[in-house]
Amino acid sequence: MSVPLGAFIAVSATLFFIGTAGVLVRRNAVVILMCVELMLNAANLALVAFSRRYGAVDERGSVFVVFVFVIAAAEVAVGLAIVLSAYRNRPTVDVDEIRAMKG
Amino acid sequence: MTLDFVEPVVFGVLAAGVIVAGAAVVLINRITAAALLMAFTFLCMAGMFVLLGAETIAAFQVLIYVGAITVLILYGVMFTPQADRPYALFFQKQTPLAGVVVAAAAIPVLLLSFSFVGAVPKPGGDDLPALATSVFVDFAFPFEVASVLLLAAMVGAIVLVKRDEDSEARR
Amino acid sequence: MPVGPFGLDPLVWLPIRLLIAVGLALFLILNGALLQIYLERKIQAAMQDRIGPYHVGPFGLLQTFADAIKLIAKEDVRARLTDPYFFIAAPALVFTPMLASWAVLPFAHDVVGADLNIGLLYLTTLGSMTVLGIVIAGWASNNKYAIVGGLRSAGQLISYEVPQILALVSVVLVVGSLSMVDITRSQAGPLVNVLVLPFSFALYFISALAETNRTPFDLPEAESELVAGWLTEYSGMRWGTMLALSEYGEVTVVCSIMTTLWFGGWQGPGVDVAPLLGVLWFTLKVYAFVLIFMWIRATLPRMRIDQLMSFCWKGLIPLALLNILLVAVLLMAFPDTRIPVAIASWALLLGFVAGVPYVQRRRLATLRARARAGQVPAHAAKAG
Repeated sequence: MSVPLGAFIAVSATLFFIGTAGVLVRRNAVVILMCVELMLNAANLALVAFSRRYGAVDERGSVFVVFVFVIAAAEVAVGLAIVLSAYRNRPTVDVDEIRAMKG
Repeated sequence: MTLDFVEPVVFGVLAAGVIVAGAAVVLINRITAAALLMAFTFLCMAGMFVLLGAETIAAFQVLIYVGAITVLILYGVMFTPQADRPYALFFQKQTPLAGVVVAAAAIPVLLLSFSFVGAVPKPGGDDLPALATSVFVDFAFPFEVASVLLLAAMVGAIVLVKRDEDSEARR
Repeated sequence: MPVGPFGLDPLVWLPIRLLIAVGLALFLILNGALLQIYLERKIQAAMQDRIGPYHVGPFGLLQTFADAIKLIAKEDVRARLTDPYFFIAAPALVFTPMLASWAVLPFAHDVVGADLNIGLLYLTTLGSMTVLGIVIAGWASNNKYAIVGGLRSAGQLISYEVPQILALVSVVLVVGSLSMVDITRSQAGPLVNVLVLPFSFALYFISALAETNRTPFDLPEAESELVAGWLTEYSGMRWGTMLALSEYGEVTVVCSIMTTLWFGGWQGPGVDVAPLLGVLWFTLKVYAFVLIFMWIRATLPRMRIDQLMSFCWKGLIPLALLNILLVAVLLMAFPDTRIPVAIASWALLLGFVAGVPYVQRRRLATLRARARAGQVPAHAAKAG
């Protein structure tokens, strides 16, 4: 007895939508970054699961996971830098309060 | 009596870990707790990768997400005010709309996801040679582009956070 | 029906095997920590012209046992404003990755917890997880010394992980495997890897000192500046778990990695006849490195945080990248022989040893000249 592919995909989709809900609902910029990381990670699970099931010879799907790692690391570094420099200008990390660019 | 039941049980535990901890990241108001729970989600996800037979990916997952990204986010948490607004979660105008949008997208996807019935191959391990060949031979050019992206991100982050020496002197 | 060893069902055997392995690792870590603390005290005492512990037992051998019993029997103190959950979770977060990394250390031929084909990657992964526990310990203590220590530690560990991993890469390039057992097997005979890749060993050694928070990189717990860094609020067995067990266990793990990768692991005279002799060779090599760590601790002063960071990012990381480039290119150009790699690596090592004092003196001279000209404040000129 082994775990069906659908179960992995369901977990992945659930985590992705948890992350989406977090991005939409939470207002703290750092928490929004965390939720984006959760979404990226959920996508990784789907990629690896499909790659294991349908990848015939090599690990083509897993390669994209490696690139997602790179993008996640770059994203969190730049995102935190933006949050910190925004915090330096106005002492808040609440994305509703940061509206200097709003018309 | 065989060991066949172990795999679904491990999967169940890991799935519960991923979903409960992931939901707690969104629901908990204390940011440090949220960051630690996010690290826990990543660890459970690494367990999922091992279950799928992708140990190399699992090792990179822990190395990058738990070892680097969570620590960076903890840095961010400690340099910014920690309390979210007390009414942050349920009493703001986006919440109903966000719920509707997420539910509308999530329910079809979840229903669709259960249509994949084929079993995942047994964890045989040794995904390292195939992965290495793919990254460094077939996808060598995207790999180089990714390294340029990392360099750009590093320079960008440094420039964004670096204090201007003149303005520092004036302060 | 499959039958495991001793005629046991695998379902019964596997949990028993796990228990035995974890119990054995715990036993080794506990005793290793006791022994290393004793050695550390005695060696530092000898170097500082003191006697060291001598009251309890012959030559003070039982002193650390007495200390351990005292730590266990101590009252469990927790300040009121510390964070209740994280304060308790942090020692476990520091200790568990170190314990798990013992699973892949090859003690002798076939004496290894699990021969993972990604063994080296697994070890670096677990090494990077310790940072999380340290940051959480610093934050949960609700104490400014602790949080400064924790954040310093996070910056230091993340930075020095980069040259550490890059130094490992060159060994992996030469050997062609990430498995600790394969790496050991590839060094049969007197030609161990340190003769081929001395420069990557030097890089790894320096970054390993920083990764294990040893002098001259013990900034996170700098006693004379930060009370005890991230350990300030901890006492009793929590402190014992974090400092004594985790740090000394981590030192042992790091020294085992150096032994396996560069010094042939359990290989030595007589292992073909009696494979268990490998345990002796492995232990001797590991403790030789542990003694060198203690020697360095008794000799060198502590660096400052900006010196630490600039040494890593401007010194070690470019050199490690250069090292990888040279090793990879030379291995591609001369796939049959390792002599060009060895020549390049020795040249880099000599250049490094000769270059550091030169660069340092030049920097000092320019900084002093600028300070005399009044361009920079004097405290920056003292930086060196």
